[in-house]
Amino acid sequence: MSEPEPSDPLRSCLRMAVSSLCTEVGYDCADSTALETVTEMAQSLIVELGRSARAFCELASRVEPVSADIVLSMVEMGIPVQGLKEYAMRSNRVTLPAPAQTVTAKQTAILHTGNKKRHPGHIQDHLPEMPDSHSYIRTPTHRQPVTDYESVREKAASQKRDVERALTRFIAKTGKIHNLFKTDDSNLFPLISCEKEEEGMKLPPYLDALMFKDQVFEEDEREYLPKKRKSSHNDLDDDDEDVEKKAKLDESLAEVENIDNPFLRPVRLPRPVKTPVK
Amino acid sequence: MALSNASPESDDVSAPQTQLVQVQSEDVEDEPFATLPISANKFLNLLDTLEDYNTTVPNTITANYLSRAGMVTSDNRLVTLVSLAAQKFISDLASDALTHCKMRQASNNNIKKVNKEKKYVMTVEDLAIALEDKGIAVRRPPYYQ
Repeated sequence: MSEPEPSDPLRSCLRMAVSSLCTEVGYDCADSTALETVTEMAQSLIVELGRSARAFCELASRVEPVSADIVLSMVEMGIPVQGLKEYAMRSNRVTLPAPAQTVTAKQTAILHTGNKKRHPGHIQDHLPEMPDSHSYIRTPTHRQPVTDYESVREKAASQKRDVERALTRFIAKTGKIHNLFKTDDSNLFPLISCEKEEEGMKLPPYLDALMFKDQVFEEDEREYLPKKRKSSHNDLDDDDEDVEKKAKLDESLAEVENIDNPFLRPVRLPRPVKTPVK
Repeated sequence: MALSNASPESDDVSAPQTQLVQVQSEDVEDEPFATLPISANKFLNLLDTLEDYNTTVPNTITANYLSRAGMVTSDNRLVTLVSLAAQKFISDLASDALTHCKMRQASNNNIKKVNKEKKYVMTVEDLAIALEDKGIAVRRPPYYQ
């Protein structure tokens, strides 16, 4: 049974040391259970020695343990003190190269900008670092907006141009288009198609400009016409050739009477003067 | 205070066991090891030789475990002592287990087979037998639940 990940780096280092000891003794391989058991024993031995030594030193009213404290701990635990020197001087001892107690590589901040401030004197070193300087230091910018007439005008013009261009391109891309050239490639000069189909008839695109749509108000109002106009209306009907169209025009013209603006008054055609035949 | 750089001048120690307690008091400073039994004295001589000794168990690891237990010391030799003690314990254990393993292999293999399996695998069974001598009982569940 192997652990999915080393939960304790200390423990895994200790396990490595223990396995090297076993190799030194003569083993080639080991059960993982057995290895874990031995590692656990080693760890508890070390911890117990430390605890016991500490207890002895505190018993003697001291603060730091001394070698004699360790001796006493070993005696108390039943570990023979005798053969330790010979063991230390054994020839085939294996020394692990102090397994990389390397400090984890400092994660270089990808978005590292300014320098970080050092800890002030009253803050311990093991506390987190100060944040990047850019996160709390700011300099307000005093750049004035451009206000001179020329650049503003130019900016407005260019923006307008860009807007128009973008809008036309958008409509060209999303709506019906005419091709300027007879090639199939429709990307070159797309013209926005302005064909209108109404009642099965293809109407010219400039029809909207001719029809006085904005001057036709309500259907109800069309009926309300002052009597004067009606009479002139009838006269005009007789004279003109395009009866319908004129009628339409006149009807719409009649409505405009309500507008006060003299510049918006409709055109008044002169009445044909009937010269009496002598 | 810590008995650092202790080079005992006198090796003749014939003090009774009770005087061992005096070592812990700070009164005896002239001859630190004068009142100790011989074995302890010799052991403490070891301290000098351990100045730059590299144990198999790295010092940092041992120091970490000791600090978990509450023993914080600036003297590296004490740490070396502790790691040495642990190492010796483990080595003795492993060698005992190896002996059992060899015995088992010798008994298992037929006389015909000259090339006996040379791989020594540390198993929990060998370990359990070796630990029994030390008074530690290892019981393994027959199956994992």
